[in-house]
Amino acid sequence: MWLTSKIKQVFMVAKPGVVTLRYPFEPRPAPPNFRGQPYWDHHKCIGCGGCAAHCPARTILVRDLCQELRVMVYDGSRCTYCGRCADVCPEDAITMTSSYELATGSKEDINETMELFMATCQRCGRCYDHEITNAIDRMSRIGFKYDSLEMRAVVPVSSEQFDMKLYEKTEKIKRPEKAGE
Amino acid sequence: MPGIEEIKNGLKKKFKDAVVAVEEQSPTRLFVDIKSAKVREISNGIIAMGARYLVSVGYDNISRDGTLGMIHTFGFDRDGIFLALRTSVPESKPVMDSITPDIPNAGWSEREYMDLLGMKFTAHPKPKRLILADDWPEGVHPLRKDIPWNLMPPAAEDVAYQLDECPEGCSIIPVGPYHPTLHEPAHFAVFVDGETIKGSDYRGFMTHRGIEKLCQTQLTYNEIPFVAERICGICGSVHAATYAQAVELAAGIRISRRAEYIRTIMLEIERIHSHLLWLGVAGHLIGFDTVFMQSWRIREPIMWLGERITGNRKTYGMIVIGGVRRDITPEIKEDILSVIGKVEEELLTVKKAIQGDSAIHRRTKGVGYVSTEDTMLWSLVGPVARARNVDIDVRRDFPYAAYDEMKFDVPVFDSNDVWATVLVRLLETFEAIKIIRQCLDKMPNDGPILTELEAPIPPLRHGLMAVEAPRGEAVHYVITGEENAPDRWRVRAPTYPNLQGVPLMLLGNQLADVPIIIGSIDPCFSCTDRMEIVDLRSGAAKTASQRELEELSRNKR
Ligand code: SF4
Ligand code: SF4
Repeated sequence: MWLTSKIKQVFMVAKPGVVTLRYPFEPRPAPPNFRGQPYWDHHKCIGCGGCAAHCPARTILVRDLCQELRVMVYDGSRCTYCGRCADVCPEDAITMTSSYELATGSKEDINETMELFMATCQRCGRCYDHEITNAIDRMSRIGFKYDSLEMRAVVPVSSEQFDMKLYEKTEKIKRPEKAGE
Repeated sequence: MPGIEEIKNGLKKKFKDAVVAVEEQSPTRLFVDIKSAKVREISNGIIAMGARYLVSVGYDNISRDGTLGMIHTFGFDRDGIFLALRTSVPESKPVMDSITPDIPNAGWSEREYMDLLGMKFTAHPKPKRLILADDWPEGVHPLRKDIPWNLMPPAAEDVAYQLDECPEGCSIIPVGPYHPTLHEPAHFAVFVDGETIKGSDYRGFMTHRGIEKLCQTQLTYNEIPFVAERICGICGSVHAATYAQAVELAAGIRISRRAEYIRTIMLEIERIHSHLLWLGVAGHLIGFDTVFMQSWRIREPIMWLGERITGNRKTYGMIVIGGVRRDITPEIKEDILSVIGKVEEELLTVKKAIQGDSAIHRRTKGVGYVSTEDTMLWSLVGPVARARNVDIDVRRDFPYAAYDEMKFDVPVFDSNDVWATVLVRLLETFEAIKIIRQCLDKMPNDGPILTELEAPIPPLRHGLMAVEAPRGEAVHYVITGEENAPDRWRVRAPTYPNLQGVPLMLLGNQLADVPIIIGSIDPCFSCTDRMEIVDLRSGAAKTASQRELEELSRNKR
């Protein structure tokens, strides 16, 4: 019993032989549908902010410098490559490329910044509403676009219940000095 | 065998006034509101009717009616009915009876809400801290709504968890917080007498990331599936699917049949990859690296397949509320068929090669024995339960997605040990392949893959969903909220009940079996760790490296 098992195991191992790939010495291209680094096409983007509103990692910043100039920053260091931004973009301005070798010494290398001229409505002077029919997607939580990308941090303004006093109180709470007290 | 009517009437008749209201959300979901004073009695009554305890959900309802809510959930496996027992206690006096003395698996759930919500449970057998760090200040309960999600109290030095009392004459062997058998940091203190294990205590939740709080306060409905997927690196799709289906149930959203089929396919692909991964890990744990190498070799094409279907080898990101994100085209269909065909063939070779190997038998047979009664008492789930002769499988008992049309066997064994767990997982992999074939065969060709929602999701609806993950059932409970995000989202991963059963499995076994027993519930592990053996009587400390443990395991006859 034991011996036949061992013989079978030898066959099991010998048949496929060596399967190790020679990556990274030989390149290994990703399949066509791969969700790699997203790329923004500034010719197509209308600056609707849809991608920023649905990014689960909140890594896309939208900031209006003035009525006509909107800046969008994509911070690749926090991206999860989920491809949600590309899904919701009404203009197909975002492509999930197949590049995945993104290790870099400087975060700036994987960021992308766009400056967009915004056309505004002649009558009301505001931007157009973006066309998303899904009711969940149309609503978004107020506040999170104020994330501080510069500081690489989520600024806790979005929690309406944030209570500074309570926070201070916890700092004064007496802790057990030794284990088990 | 009670039907939904009988359960309803039975409860009303037996407990009369204590049952405040009964809501029948669908033929498979029953919500029962009760008075908190009778919670223990009614829970026992439900168990007596043949139900199995799932999990408890606590939530902060202070802003609405000044109470803390508590929901105990149960499943009637034979009838496919989920029951949620809802009750609440006032914030000023948040005390209710513990159900743990009769239903030991509720122990963690209740301890969780002692920590997170500040509830109190009378007669709880072990009211120790479970979730919060040992230096977290008393009286700050992070799941309450007035606590900000990013509260970070300053750290304290020299605070430690007090282990249970060690039995007389035994030595304590701490396994962890970093140790060879668990993927994440957790601490098992194993009490041994010589080589034999006499008991153990557990302190875990060291990587509790507060995902529930984060999602409730910061993210929106359709961002959560992506976070849910990252709860577990191995069964990610499972959590995304459970969450999405729970929300769909709560909001009454119907998705297209095609999307349901695609979800089923993704869940089964994930099961194949997970079981192969576990098989390799188990092989490695008992020092049999051939199995490890070969099953991971077979698994790799599955990962590449996932990459071709979804765009990523593991974080599929396929499932969102309303359906799935990518379609299965005819080319992909051919691709799937050829890959699973190859996997089936190669796995058969592996199965033949290992099932007669007496070396594996010696290391797994009779190890980690738990009687069928104890398995049921502790509500263990998944392959761990099925290897101990408990015939439960959410896919068959409470069908979701497209499982109602699938024909498959649920392997169940009665040798109650780790070997049976190996067999269950091996056979389930073949069943998964069968299911994928059926799906591809029967899948309707038309229908949108993503259903557009016409109206916002109404607030304060409840949804309870269970999905059979590779390691057991994942249970999610969603209470919908106002701000385009759930008010409460409770996640119970399959390891949650199973880990509670580990002390039971360890009892009476040999020290050398600790890795494979803990490993048999599949919590993953890292192999760079070491265990420390402290002999209390002599006070001498000795460390056992992974290699020495492996030697111990290999030399075991
Ligand atoms: S790929 Fe996902 S995480 Fe990355 S920017 Fe797009 S939406 Fe955000
Ligand atoms: S969703 Fe598309 S069009 Fe809108 S801001 Fe983003 S990239 Fe531009």
